[in-house]
Amino acid sequence: MSHIDIRDMSFTYTGKRMILKDINLQIEQGEWVAILGHNGSGKSTLAKTLVGLLEPAQGTVAIAGTIITPETTPAIRKQIGIVFQNPDNQFVGVTVRDDIAFGMENLCVSREEMLERIAFFAKKVGMEKYLDKEPASLSGGQKQRVAIAGILAMQTGIMIFDEATSMLDPYAREDLMKYIRQLHQEGLTIIMITHEIEEALLADRLVIMKEGKIFADGRKEELLKQPEVFAQSALVMPLALQMAMQLDDEATFGEVKAFLWESTFAK
Amino acid sequence: MGIHFREVSFHYPQNQLTFYQAIADITLQIAKQDEFICLIGRTGSGKSTLAQHMNALLLPTEGSVEIFGSLITNKRDKKINYNLLRKHVGLVFQFPEYQLFEETVEKDIMFGPLNFHVPPEQAKQIASETIKLVGLDETYLKRNPFNLSGGEKKRVSIAGILAFDPDILVLDEPTSGLDPQGKIQMMELFKAIQAKTGKSIIIITHDMDLVYEHASRVIVLHDGSLIYDESPEVLFRRGDLEQFHLQYPNTIKVLSALRDRFGLDLDIYQKNLPDALLAIKKAVAR
Amino acid sequence: MKNIVLGQYLPGQGFFYRMDPRTKIIGVIALMVAIFLLETIPQLLIALAIGVVCMLLGRLSIKRIAKGMRPLFILLIFTFFFQILFNKEGSILLQETLTISLASIGAIIALTILWRLLAKLRRFRFLLLLGYLAGVYFSLAYLAYGYTFASFVFTVYERGVEMSVFVVIRLLVIITLSTILTLTTKPTDLTQGLESLMRPLKVIGIRSDEFALIISISLRYIPTILDEANKIMAAQASRGADFLQGRLKDKIRQIISLLVPMFIIAFKRSEDLADAMETRNFIPGMKRTRISELAFGKTDILATLFIVSSLAASIVLRVL
Repeated sequence: MSHIDIRDMSFTYTGKRMILKDINLQIEQGEWVAILGHNGSGKSTLAKTLVGLLEPAQGTVAIAGTIITPETTPAIRKQIGIVFQNPDNQFVGVTVRDDIAFGMENLCVSREEMLERIAFFAKKVGMEKYLDKEPASLSGGQKQRVAIAGILAMQTGIMIFDEATSMLDPYAREDLMKYIRQLHQEGLTIIMITHEIEEALLADRLVIMKEGKIFADGRKEELLKQPEVFAQSALVMPLALQMAMQLDDEATFGEVKAFLWESTFAK
Repeated sequence: MGIHFREVSFHYPQNQLTFYQAIADITLQIAKQDEFICLIGRTGSGKSTLAQHMNALLLPTEGSVEIFGSLITNKRDKKINYNLLRKHVGLVFQFPEYQLFEETVEKDIMFGPLNFHVPPEQAKQIASETIKLVGLDETYLKRNPFNLSGGEKKRVSIAGILAFDPDILVLDEPTSGLDPQGKIQMMELFKAIQAKTGKSIIIITHDMDLVYEHASRVIVLHDGSLIYDESPEVLFRRGDLEQFHLQYPNTIKVLSALRDRFGLDLDIYQKNLPDALLAIKKAVAR
Repeated sequence: MKNIVLGQYLPGQGFFYRMDPRTKIIGVIALMVAIFLLETIPQLLIALAIGVVCMLLGRLSIKRIAKGMRPLFILLIFTFFFQILFNKEGSILLQETLTISLASIGAIIALTILWRLLAKLRRFRFLLLLGYLAGVYFSLAYLAYGYTFASFVFTVYERGVEMSVFVVIRLLVIITLSTILTLTTKPTDLTQGLESLMRPLKVIGIRSDEFALIISISLRYIPTILDEANKIMAAQASRGADFLQGRLKDKIRQIISLLVPMFIIAFKRSEDLADAMETRNFIPGMKRTRISELAFGKTDILATLFIVSSLAASIVLRVL
């Protein structure tokens, strides 16, 4: 059984237009999946159904063998955490410490245990020196790291990033990706919603959404060999691969092309 | 004419609450016509503070800013109509949500012209012209701005500024949050507006590909100081950008990796894919 | 620099900071009751003296407290004059005929100009105001030359002076008490203290922990919303909205142009926040543990002893 198991799932807000159509997606423990798609392709809606914020109209979503229903959501949310796009709109606490504690408070973790985990996870995201700081004095990237620590402290095994870097500058973005990569190495299942191909390249597997459907799904090395998939879903291929594909003369450019492929995946 | 910054500094007295990053000792000139400037620097480097001096939303603590002949200093001059100055320099904020408020797109676009005392009939006429200028058709005029997609909202917010026909257009991160196609379309839009009207355009951005491909001049801020003001060709030949937390355009990154790997005699300073391909072909042929 | 001091909290040391917010809240209320029980000026002065000694012991800067009270000076002055003008008991201390004449009007205008010119000397603002008021009084009293518009009799009674001094000191002590509370207690601690004290109200259906969460989220978002209001105002000003000038009709539209985006963004924000809280397993009404904890310590025991004895003393004084 897959860690995340979505079967024949559809979603609609109004009952008329389907935002998500017949989604089938299985994700294994420890995978790093990037869900790509242009604005309005349904990728963020998909993320919301995974954490039980939206209820499918048809089909099921199951996390670790439990199908999400209103009754099971509290239990599901101990398994899966989500970092949203806007750093300011998910910072609940008055200080960094309070914010990391928020989820644990809801899980009724004892105070001693909370203090221990806060110290540990704040350090993990490099925020240990900021525990008494207020959100107004933090940068967007720091706020996102605090959000990550808050979810880590709840000890969920799956973490979703719903365009979590889109409001950050490139430097803060790279910094955040560094922490995400580390989490993946430690065994967390990572699902990243994004339209930045550079970010998606860090994942193992790409899921491309288009008009509410899964348009393509596969290992990145396989999918990136199909430029038509990207063109049809209004996405842009990494520049190095665009070059490699347009240098068609295999005899002359063979080595150059091999290097361009290699360097794209070397990250 | 245009905008002239002379040794401009902006800061607050200590311990006072402030939402703006400080800037220090900035001197620069912006021409009224045909400039395509990118203003770059990491978050907190003072880009927005600088932009808000361009239409006198902020007054310099020290130094002066000359905006189309009016000299702006830290003292409010009763002879200057600060409000009318803003008609010269149109500032589009990053989030369209900051400005959209009317129940139809048409009324929202008319808000600016009406504030600058354009008669209602004429403002209506202007609205239907500007909506086309930003690449949307007239059916949008009667729509509710809050029901539009992110990209459409951005376009309407830009139309809301273009409607009062500013001489210079300043845009704060106009491509952020857009998907790749949306970004390309947005940049095409600015190019078209400039080709049609000759207005100077200033764009605040973090996207170095965009800077390299489109800018004719780049202003770089770091910790509130102006460190570079030059063409992108000169800027990206510098080796020290990373220490200011700035990146290089993708073409340069990929080509320089190629050059170093194969020891090619390759001109890595190419602005777009076709040029880069030509350069590779040339280098491999050698 | 981006820190905004919420309320008046000023970080510092000393025993006021170590006290449990609950002790402080109850203490302030109890001491206010005690102050209201006192009946004579000497009693009040003793209370004020004790208060000052406590502040010194707690290493609070009296200057800082006086600064915090500044907005309330107007209230004090108003109370003072109100009592003097309208309390007509006891023997007459002073009786003067005040005349509004050409000369006195001229003098008042001259004084006003002088006062406004000197207003740059901000440090002496208060003295200047007193001087100005005295000047106005003397002009009305002694410059009855030229055409006379009106005149009236101004009388000050003994009891009026007594009452005004009494009321002003009492107000001063009460304001000092509440200033100490807000100056030494973080808004979050204050909320938590209130929450803890309101817990018994659960019986009548008031959930104090949710109330506290609402307050702490509001506190957290005040700086964010202020920042946003600032940006929206700048964005609309860029489109020629002039929030300072213009006709009433324009002004209304301009205020709408500020309020609509603020509300729409706030709605979006609250939706996002609700999502974030929900996915972090917040369920309204469910039991939660708390990271911050209130501790009743040694200082609190001493403070409670002090508060109880003060209250007892003032009750005894009142009954005797």
